[in-house]
Amino acid sequence: MVRAILLILAVVFLAAAPFFGDAVMIQYGIDALLFATLAQAWNILGGFTGYASFGNSAFYGLGTYGTAIAMAQLHLPFWVGLSLGAFLAVLCAVVIGLPILRLRGHYFAIATLGLSATLAAIISNLDISGRNIGLILPLTRNDVGFYEEALALLVASTLTVMWIAKSRFGMGLIAIREDEDAAQVMGINTTFYKVVALMLSAFFTAIAGGIHAYWITFIDPASAFDLSLNVRMVIMAMFGGPGTVLGPVVGSFILSAVYDALARSISTAAALLFGMVIVLAVIFMPRGLWDLGHGLRQVGWRYFLQNIRLHRL
Amino acid sequence: MLFAQIMVNGLLLGGLYGLMALGMALVWGVLNIVNLAHGAVVMLGGYCVYFLFTGAGIDPFAALPIAMVVMFALGYLLQRYVLNLIIRSAQLNTLLITFGLDVVLTYLAQLAFSADFRAINPSYAGANLTWMGVTIPLVRLGAFVTALILAGLLWALLQRTRLGRAIRATAQNLVAARLYGVNPAQLYAVTFGLGAALAGAAGGLYGMVSQVTPYVGAALTAKSFVITIMGGLENPFGILLGGVFIGIAEALAAIYIGPTFTDAISFGLLLLILVARPARSLRGA
Repeated sequence: MVRAILLILAVVFLAAAPFFGDAVMIQYGIDALLFATLAQAWNILGGFTGYASFGNSAFYGLGTYGTAIAMAQLHLPFWVGLSLGAFLAVLCAVVIGLPILRLRGHYFAIATLGLSATLAAIISNLDISGRNIGLILPLTRNDVGFYEEALALLVASTLTVMWIAKSRFGMGLIAIREDEDAAQVMGINTTFYKVVALMLSAFFTAIAGGIHAYWITFIDPASAFDLSLNVRMVIMAMFGGPGTVLGPVVGSFILSAVYDALARSISTAAALLFGMVIVLAVIFMPRGLWDLGHGLRQVGWRYFLQNIRLHRL
Repeated sequence: MLFAQIMVNGLLLGGLYGLMALGMALVWGVLNIVNLAHGAVVMLGGYCVYFLFTGAGIDPFAALPIAMVVMFALGYLLQRYVLNLIIRSAQLNTLLITFGLDVVLTYLAQLAFSADFRAINPSYAGANLTWMGVTIPLVRLGAFVTALILAGLLWALLQRTRLGRAIRATAQNLVAARLYGVNPAQLYAVTFGLGAALAGAAGGLYGMVSQVTPYVGAALTAKSFVITIMGGLENPFGILLGGVFIGIAEALAAIYIGPTFTDAISFGLLLLILVARPARSLRGA
């Protein structure tokens, strides 16, 4: 109960923030909120089932291009574009998900990687998507509006994850993560569960892509299907705590803040530090901030050595 | 004639691709790590040869062994003191840590060497052989032959030496290998070092047929990965064949479909193979 009130207060605070902050802060805010949504969306499949998707950048690209094609080429309103993008991404999740969710481990990760590379190449050869040059969307100067949309999307995705974590569906996903064969024996339709998780993940990712496209007003294949974006989703979710409700959100807020603060001073050093954070996090706190909090309370600083002790050669 | 020329181009480039993938396949097969920093090591090998050539005036082909030794040392240290710490954790974690290493190596290279394009241009860079109307660039032929020789050496090392037997034994069964006196921490480091040395050689050759920037790593990692899946993890020559297959497919696609489609072709093939032949990929996972 206390937690729920605190969460609502946090959302109200975030919703009110743009009316007090300056323009630059709002832009950072939109970016951070969209990233948090992407991390949360990745968490639905990656965190709960343990299937590490590198194809979320494909869903992001489809959402981006769905919105852009609808608005720039067909002159339809924004919400139609968003729905088109989300529809394309969810459709792609079903069609592609059925064959490639049979793959496990590295093979799944790489097949999804292939998916976004292939889609990027196809999009950059189609006339309707503006080929390599990209598309320009109608300009709207309403950063506060975009901020609130991004926040609403983040809240929606987090509520979805909250429901998943408590539901029978979520238990099924966790069972798949812990032991897929056992889950199947228990009567879980693993294919159905995984595909639904992928669809949910694709849906939120595509909407985030659409909002970002309309906000930034210019898209091209390289930025829409940017693989490093997908990697950032994974890192943010893993840093915060995969398979938890708030971990990915908190993790991505922290990493976004660190990254932006560093990028403002020296851009190369920011990327370099980002890489180091990944390496150190995997070695010392592989289960994320959420688990770190519990671990520190239980065993103190020795928590940091636990992972090495368990997994070294 | 055009067709024959395309096939030769693809074949020669494919040999180099194959060499690039060899190191990744070795590490994957023995350590069960998909090394996302592989392309970054290839890139560093390219810089190594570039600076040995421009700075010390050593012929790039003669500089290859030196670059290989340097990269072996780098790979050995990385595995011994970083990757060995978490080698037994979940696959996603080893994937992530090698990605982190990739980022670190890429941006260190950018700080140290700047983002300029560097090409290794020895005096014979423009020389060609012409055989039955097909033009064969000498450097590419040299790269192809070097790839063959290194694949042969790797095969001999794995099949004919004590170290090779230890590596193969460890890949099959770590516990049993341990009982026979293999020190896995050491052996893993050596294997990773060998993979890095092969990557270093591939990088030097890549710098001769193309250009090196700090950012080429990711694309080369992806390509190596595709080839590794196609060639399988068992046989070095299978990997070379996978490389040649991709090289020819890309060369054909570039001419007959359009150069912007080359990436789509190799990844599309990968998707098809993974989906059509899941048995193999399921077994390895």
